[in-house]
Amino acid sequence: MDTIIILYTGAFGLIFIGIAGIVLSRHLVRIIFAIGLLEAGANLLLLLATWRDGASAPIIVGGRVPALMADPVPQALVLTAIVIGVGILALALSLALRVQHAWGTLDMRAIRLRLEEEIDDAAGIEPPTSADAPAPRPTAPATREGGA
Amino acid sequence: MNELVLMVALPLLTAFLLPVIDRLSSLAARWIGPLVLLLTAIIGLSAWSQTGSGAITIELGNFRPPLGIDLYVDQLALLFALAVTLGTLLLWPAEGEQRLRQSTLALLLAGSGSGLALSGDLFNIYVLYELIAVVSYGLAASRGTAAGQAATLRYLIVSAFGAALALAGIALVYQATGTLNLAQLAQLAPTQLNNGQGLAAFVLMLVGFGVKAELFPVNTWVPEVYATAPARVAGLLAGVVSKLALLIIVRLLILLFPQPEALTVMLVLGILGVLTGELAAWRARDFNRMLAFSSIGQLGIMFIAFSIPGKAGVFAGLAVALHHLVVKPALFLLAQRWGGSLEHLAGVAKGSPLAAALFILLALSLIGVPPLPGFWAKLLVMIHLLEQQSSLYALGAWIIMAGAALEANYLFRVASSFYRREAAATPPAAHRTGDLAGASLLGAALAAAVFLIVPLADRIEAMAGQAADRDHYIQTVNPEPLP
Repeated sequence: MDTIIILYTGAFGLIFIGIAGIVLSRHLVRIIFAIGLLEAGANLLLLLATWRDGASAPIIVGGRVPALMADPVPQALVLTAIVIGVGILALALSLALRVQHAWGTLDMRAIRLRLEEEIDDAAGIEPPTSADAPAPRPTAPATREGGA
Repeated sequence: MNELVLMVALPLLTAFLLPVIDRLSSLAARWIGPLVLLLTAIIGLSAWSQTGSGAITIELGNFRPPLGIDLYVDQLALLFALAVTLGTLLLWPAEGEQRLRQSTLALLLAGSGSGLALSGDLFNIYVLYELIAVVSYGLAASRGTAAGQAATLRYLIVSAFGAALALAGIALVYQATGTLNLAQLAQLAPTQLNNGQGLAAFVLMLVGFGVKAELFPVNTWVPEVYATAPARVAGLLAGVVSKLALLIIVRLLILLFPQPEALTVMLVLGILGVLTGELAAWRARDFNRMLAFSSIGQLGIMFIAFSIPGKAGVFAGLAVALHHLVVKPALFLLAQRWGGSLEHLAGVAKGSPLAAALFILLALSLIGVPPLPGFWAKLLVMIHLLEQQSSLYALGAWIIMAGAALEANYLFRVASSFYRREAAATPPAAHRTGDLAGASLLGAALAAAVFLIVPLADRIEAMAGQAADRDHYIQTVNPEPLP
């Protein structure tokens, strides 16, 4: 098979794995890793935009011009994108660490619910209720039969 | 004309020097930020009249585009660069523990925002967009609470997802054309981007840059961040940063993507944004989240308006965008003290009549009650939507009408509770003078616009004409043809 097809499959595959990971995962660290994969896929796609098999770096040494030169622009761009991506990942991990310290969980759904609660609390409004909502969970009975 | 570069460079430079300046003199560090922003605003204003007749391009380092990077200054770009500078100045961090960090972030926001508005190069747009994103994470988490950090983290995940998609879109564009200069892309677009690959690139970039513009499927972060960040920051994000992202999307749409399907995608997402935003705002029970959802709805109207083809769409969309640019920061300035449950606001008009009156003025304009500017902006959108003779555009018009009815319902509900006889048990504290002055300033600008509506509309129409003119963009930059 053509190398380029394999490479493109890799790029789109990474992008799809990344998107699926962000959308489907519940664990925060997995989501952050998925962002890393998605960025890697996008970077690979950018590199492949002008990639040619067997091209050499566009540097003229001793007056000899290479027959096939690689386009240096995407490589410079990808370098920038990688640096930005690493910075964002580090920021995400540090925020995740803070949240884990404060709330003791890395589960995205738990964080979303807790966040909702905290915002409601801070605003001073009761949790939402409706006629169709399931009945509130019975609280522990005040006195136990027989006593302890 | 090259001093316009200072609009980008000066705030960035000052931001990085600020910690050093603070070591030397904390008084200087306190004042240099606002002074620099004032200076850059003056630089921008002095260039305003020169851009009236035609746009200018600044070749950085005197390298001709497309090999060099250029800044493209037309009235639209300059207006948004000024808006981000003046908006940051108006919402300048107040006294607090983290004054130095906050000032640094605010300056970074002003610099990168101006850069984003003026940039004429796709990759520069990506880099500056990421810079704004990182700055907004810092600002959003600046309260230091766990809830604020969790909201910021959820915002960061959506935003990083969007940025990666936008980068993939840029890769597709580069693959098709081999250039990233917007003018050269505009030259090549009719032949090389008018296909499925171009459409895919547009959708990727729309969703990617749409994260900041509160586009429908990627706006889950909006209510969480606006409810946990300081109201000042929420005003900045909703008022200014969202419009910058929108400006980028509109630029790309005009220059790069001529296919009608691109407009349809934007129209449908805009309609969904208005529907979901207004319905959620109607249900919201606290002030900040009501404003957040209403801003999603308003941004939806802008997406609908910009999806009208040609100059008419740019004109109508700009009118709504500029109106929202004034109204939403003012409302968030009021939210500095009024954040929290709407029930706490009962009878608040007795204690702070000016703030209550301001809220009603802003709310009426947001709904679109004549003769306020919001009415004319919405009218313009409706007229041009119905002119399109297409059922989807007509649906957009109906949805905007329905959204306005919902807006009227929930905003009047709040406004009427202000004048209730029995006050809430825990009334909110009185507004700080600075916040109230800022909100009054914006309210006064809105009221003044009522009397200047005709000249203002002419100005905006000229601006839209200039921005919607692809050939003007290409000729102004005049990229050297590559061998």
